[in-house]
Amino acid sequence: MSESKIVQLHESLVKKEISCRELTEKYIGAIEKDNAELNAYVTVTADEALKTAEAVDKKIASGEEIALLEGIPMTLKDNISTDGIRTTCCSKILEDYVPIYDATVWDILKKQNAVLLGKTNMDEFAMGSSCETSYFGGAKNPHNTGHVAGGSSGGVASAVGGNIAVYGLGSDTGGSIRQPASFCGIVGLKPTYGAVSRFGLIAYASSLDQIGPITTNVEDAAIVFDAIAQYDKMDSTSRGRQGSPVYDSLKNDIKGMKIGIAKEYLEGIRDDVRQAVEDAAKVYQSLGAEIVYFDLPSLKYALPVYYIIACAEASSNLGRYDGIRYGYKAENYKDLNDMVKKTRSTGFGEEVKRRILLGTYVLSSGYYDAYYKKAQNLRGTIVKAFKDAFESCDVILAPTVPMTAFENGHAVSDPVETYLTDICTVPVNICGLPGVSVPCGFNAKGMPIGMQLIGNTFGEAKILNAAWQYENAANQFRAAGFGVKL
Amino acid sequence: MVTKEEVMKIAILSKLFVAEDEIDKLTKDMGEIISFADTINNAADEGSKFDNINNLSNVLREDEVVPSLDREKILQNAKDSDDGCFMVKNIMK
Repeated sequence: MSESKIVQLHESLVKKEISCRELTEKYIGAIEKDNAELNAYVTVTADEALKTAEAVDKKIASGEEIALLEGIPMTLKDNISTDGIRTTCCSKILEDYVPIYDATVWDILKKQNAVLLGKTNMDEFAMGSSCETSYFGGAKNPHNTGHVAGGSSGGVASAVGGNIAVYGLGSDTGGSIRQPASFCGIVGLKPTYGAVSRFGLIAYASSLDQIGPITTNVEDAAIVFDAIAQYDKMDSTSRGRQGSPVYDSLKNDIKGMKIGIAKEYLEGIRDDVRQAVEDAAKVYQSLGAEIVYFDLPSLKYALPVYYIIACAEASSNLGRYDGIRYGYKAENYKDLNDMVKKTRSTGFGEEVKRRILLGTYVLSSGYYDAYYKKAQNLRGTIVKAFKDAFESCDVILAPTVPMTAFENGHAVSDPVETYLTDICTVPVNICGLPGVSVPCGFNAKGMPIGMQLIGNTFGEAKILNAAWQYENAANQFRAAGFGVKL
Repeated sequence: MVTKEEVMKIAILSKLFVAEDEIDKLTKDMGEIISFADTINNAADEGSKFDNINNLSNVLREDEVVPSLDREKILQNAKDSDDGCFMVKNIMK
C-alpha cells in the first residue's frame, strides 16, 4: 500500500468509500475542534470548501475521472493571493485586504478542484523563525503546544502536522518551508528558484522567495510539486519544472548515489540533531549510497549575506504599503507624508520595521558598497562553492535546523540569536537551489528532528528520490494527537 | 557602531516614525545586527560577481492586449476613493 496520504484519499474517493463532502466535513470539524489550540488557521473557508467538495462528488457520481489532487482538503499560507478570500500576510497593515486575482499556484490547484480549507498563520510578511511575529499570535507545534510550530510558514506546518489539512503550500525565503516542517516532524520542499511561479505571492525578498509544498510524506511532496511547477508568463523569473515529473523517478534505486556532507554544516549543531543526521548517513550507506565529505568554508558568510540581501529587497518591496490603495490606513494625520508614515509605523510590527530599517541602511549612500554590494559579491562566491561541491556529489545531506522547536516566547527576545538558527537553511535560497526537509528522528523530549537534502539547480528529482528511499527504509513520521482520524 | 542620529535618518528614508521610548532599544538592536552583518567584511575578495539567480536575462515576449483588472474591483480595497480615483489629502495649497 502506498504511504501517500493523497493517493490513499484519492482511491477512497474514487471507490466511493467516502464522499468528498464527508471528507471535507471531517476536516472542517477537526479545525473547529483543534484550531483554538494550534492557531494554525487565520481564515477558515468552510462554505467554499463544501461547495468544491459537492462539485467533486457530482463528477464522481457521474463516472467522470478525477485528478489526483481533486477533492483533497488543503491549505495555503496567508501570503498566497486568493481571489475574494482575505489575504493578510498576518500583518495589521493587510488585515482586511481581499485580493482580486489568484496566485498562479492557487489558480492551478483551483482548476483541479483542490478543496481549500482556509488560509494559514505565518510570521508577519514571512519575517521570522517562530511564527510569533504574526499579528494573530503564533501557530503551535502539534507535538507539544508549549513549543512553536516554527516559521515563517508555521501555520501550514501546524495544520499539516496536526492533520487539520492533508497538505499545504508555504513560501521559503530563508528556510520558511523547511524549518517549520522540521519542527513539526513533516516534509517541506523548497523548489529551485524559478521552478514554481511567484505570481500572486506577496513579496518579501524577490530573489530568494519560492513557493513549495508541506506534506506528511515524500510521495505527497512529489505529487504536489509536479502539479504546481509550471512555467508562468506572469513571473519573469519563471522556468517551470525541467525534465520529467519527479514522481517518475521517486522510487529509483540509489545504489552508488554520492551523498555529500560538509563539516561546516555540523558545527554548532545540538548533539541530538547531529546524531540523528549521522544516523541517517548510515541508513544511506546501508542502501548502497556513498558518503563523501567536503569543505564549504564560505558557509560562515551565508547568514550575514542572507540578512543583508533579504532586508534590502524587503525595504524596497514593502515600500508599496502606504495606506492609499489597499490595507490599513492611519487616522488623524496632517498631510500625505504624515499619513503614510503613521500608516506604516502603526501597521507594521516590530520585526518588519527592524528589517525595513536594516534594508534601508545597507542600501543607503555611504553603506551600499560595504554591505549590499559586498554581500552580492559574496553571494557569487557561495554560488560557486555549491557548484563545485556538486562536481563530487549528487546531493548534500545536512541538518535542517541546528535544534528542535523553541519553547513559546523564546525566539522573540533576541533578534541576532534567532537569526543564527537559520544557518543551515539560508544557503539554499542564496544559491537558488532545491532543498527538502525530511523527519529523521525525535529528541529525548519527543520533539521532531529534521534533516535536509540539498540538490543542484533543478535537481528536485534527485533529492526527492533520496528522501523517499530514506523514508521507505527508516520512516520517522509520527502522527501528533490532533486532527482527523480516518 | 550605529548612532541614534543614523537610526533617525534611516527612519525618515523608510517613512517610519520612531517613538522616543523606542529609539534606545532600536539603536542597540540595529547596532548588534549591523556588527553581525559586518563579518562579511572579513571575507577575502575573490572577485566573484553575482548577476542573477537562475541564468535568465532579457525575458521578452510579444506585447499582447489582454483584459486587465476591473477598476471598481481595484478600488474596493482602498479606504478612500472618488470618481474612479484613489483619494489622498490635498498635496498642493
